Amino acid sequence: MAEFTAAVYQNEFLPDGGTDVNAIVTVTCAGAGTAGQTGGGSAGEIIIVDTSGSMGPETMAAAKQAAQAALAEIVDGTWFAVIAGSDRAMLAYPKVSSGPGMVQMDASTRSQASESIGAFVGSGGTAISTWLDLALTLFASVPQVTQRHAILLTDGENREDSNKLDAAIRNATGVFQCDCRGAGTDWQVGEIRRIAQALLGTVDIIPSPELMQAQFQEMMRTAMSRGVADAQLRVWTPQGAQVLFVRQVSPTVEDLTDRRTEVNPLTGAYPTGAWSDESRDYHVGVRVAAKAIGQEQLAARVQLALGEDIVTQGLVKATWSNDSELTAKIDQQVAHYTGQTELAAMIQEGLAAKAAGDEATATTKLGRAVQLAAETGNDEATSKLRKVVDVEDEKEGTVKLKRTVDKADEMALDTASTKTTRIKK
Amino acid sequence: MSDTTCPSCGAGVAADAKFCESCGKPIGDPATAAPTTTAAPAAAGDDLGSGPISAPTHITPVTAGTPAPDGRRPCVSCGGTVGPDTYCEQCGTKQPSERDHFRETPAPWVAGVCDRGIRHTRNEDAMALLASPTAGERAVLVVLDGVSNTDDSDKASLAGARAAREVLRTPLPRGMGTPESRLSAVTSVFADAVKAANDAVVGFTPEGSEHPPSATFVAAIVEGSVLSYANVGDSRAYWLPDGGQGVQLSVDDSAAQLQIEAGMSRLEAESGPQGHAITRWLGRDAPDLAPRVGEVTIDADGWVLVCSDGLWNYASEPDALVAQIAAAATSEPEALAVALTAFANAQGGQDNITVALARIAGQNAGATADQGHIDQGESHG
Repeated sequence: MAEFTAAVYQNEFLPDGGTDVNAIVTVTCAGAGTAGQTGGGSAGEIIIVDTSGSMGPETMAAAKQAAQAALAEIVDGTWFAVIAGSDRAMLAYPKVSSGPGMVQMDASTRSQASESIGAFVGSGGTAISTWLDLALTLFASVPQVTQRHAILLTDGENREDSNKLDAAIRNATGVFQCDCRGAGTDWQVGEIRRIAQALLGTVDIIPSPELMQAQFQEMMRTAMSRGVADAQLRVWTPQGAQVLFVRQVSPTVEDLTDRRTEVNPLTGAYPTGAWSDESRDYHVGVRVAAKAIGQEQLAARVQLALGEDIVTQGLVKATWSNDSELTAKIDQQVAHYTGQTELAAMIQEGLAAKAAGDEATATTKLGRAVQLAAETGNDEATSKLRKVVDVEDEKEGTVKLKRTVDKADEMALDTASTKTTRIKK
Repeated sequence: MSDTTCPSCGAGVAADAKFCESCGKPIGDPATAAPTTTAAPAAAGDDLGSGPISAPTHITPVTAGTPAPDGRRPCVSCGGTVGPDTYCEQCGTKQPSERDHFRETPAPWVAGVCDRGIRHTRNEDAMALLASPTAGERAVLVVLDGVSNTDDSDKASLAGARAAREVLRTPLPRGMGTPESRLSAVTSVFADAVKAANDAVVGFTPEGSEHPPSATFVAAIVEGSVLSYANVGDSRAYWLPDGGQGVQLSVDDSAAQLQIEAGMSRLEAESGPQGHAITRWLGRDAPDLAPRVGEVTIDADGWVLVCSDGLWNYASEPDALVAQIAAAATSEPEALAVALTAFANAQGGQDNITVALARIAGQNAGATADQGHIDQGESHG
């Protein structure tokens, strides 16, 4: 049985009249077990591979190999299916046209599915909405599957009306999780990130085909280790208080503020997807009414809920004090993640400005990003930034845009922008 | 680290813990550890040897009140439900620990609140109440105000209040029939109660303590139409008849009182630099334990109020208290005690606040006042 714990990092002391409370809540899961094996329903996996005409022979060969490697990671008994995606979605395996669109993994279904993947031929365009729609239909055809996850590989830009993709994302949100990977450099980071963020998954670039197999193996291995099917982060705030924001800040920055659903008038729920043995950090900002010096009050209860069961809770407090030594301190964790959140925004906004030809803005924002990456010790961001800009002064954040940049490096910087580092606690 | 769990909230606690760090509830035998919300009836085998010689013909049984199923009171701030994490589930206000805020309602007509206030970090006031189920029959209100900046005076004061209550559990002696002999017998009982409280306070004195715990003492006993009272220090007893002239019964053992007696105005004396210096107290270094004792006949509906200076700091004159009682507009003792505590906190809550009340209604109205019975504040010693 999985065990959850929560730890809160904050400076609870507010000055006279202070109203805004910031806290980092670390939620840790241990003993998660294996997906679909904990009795709460079965797990389902769908592998979606881009089979459009743009997939070159080398990429296609690597994609087949990667998808087959992913199959090997799927634990026996898990329900699964394989989708070949182009300008429409094909159910490549199981080969059925009615009834349940997924089968349970065993030696025989694994080898049949592997064979189907081996027969992929690239042709046609890219209409990702149809891929998501089919995955949704397949999951719906097997009601006993309660933990739903897909991995999606594409190599090109979505060639359809963006409303269609928006609608498909909307329909899939809350139904299944999806990790997305882009092969090569002809796909749009923003577009694929939109899918991954809504569907509580990761996004990354696979710059060259030989890296594909390892990435797929890892993605599927991680998915299989998520023995806790679905959980909600719940944030209770006192009457009259306002939730300023709720963000996941580790392992990646994901703003959850707008994904609130009401549990009761004082409590909102935010999706977290499935959990393996892992730790995630959340940054919660709450505005409360100021109280008298010396008063203490609870600003938030940050809870993890499995169904209706609260499995752990962290208390975010506010205590008003006139001791400026107490109130002036900013908690180290809060400062760290505030910096990391700004870092993610600076990278994304800087790259967007660069793409739009606004070099002045791009230089300022990426310069600030370099400064923040150094300050918060995010070495991965620093090294990725250095492939896009020439750093003149890291402390001051003065940079120059590189004249020639490898497109893959720029995309890698973009996809990794939300990855954060932890500080030692 | 957690050796066992709290029976109230389920949080982990150390095996030898007396109170839960999480919810503040006592661990272990609640009869001995808990500041109970009701007075326990005298158990068979209770040592009555320290009580008065005139043994009771019967011991008034005290009915147990019904604590909430989970043992948690509503929020002190908004009245909402309090979570197992001791914070209000509506407004988030941190709830005081049981020692920092407790209430007793031994019968519907008698109740008290003992509260930390705002400025002090712990509640060194203490209270112990007793009441017969029949309104107006018999009630005992004991309040001790532990002197701050002495060691463990929070524990000492509570033990002292309970020890005094045990002594006062049996009806007061009638004496030989004259008011003088009656008063002398009553004085002797109160002296026993003070001694028991003092023994308990001294018992909490850590070895080699430079600041031995000390406390004030005030007790009031209602027996029908007779109200008896005794005090050491500056905690007070008042009789506040409905619509009548309220009176402060006890006389403070304080520098301020001496100044008042020398002609200074009450306001000036009580707000002066020596306003809170007491001249007598309980504790290892107590100068003199003889209480000032008095009795009065109560012949109207009204309130018997026993309180610490945490309340009277903000309403010293009986009229000022009557005004606050009127503002609270309730005839429920617990509601009024809560309201008066809230009033003191709203005024700044500079000190611990204890408010113990007995509601006198109906039973004595129309009885002839026996003014000759009134003996304000003359101690036998």
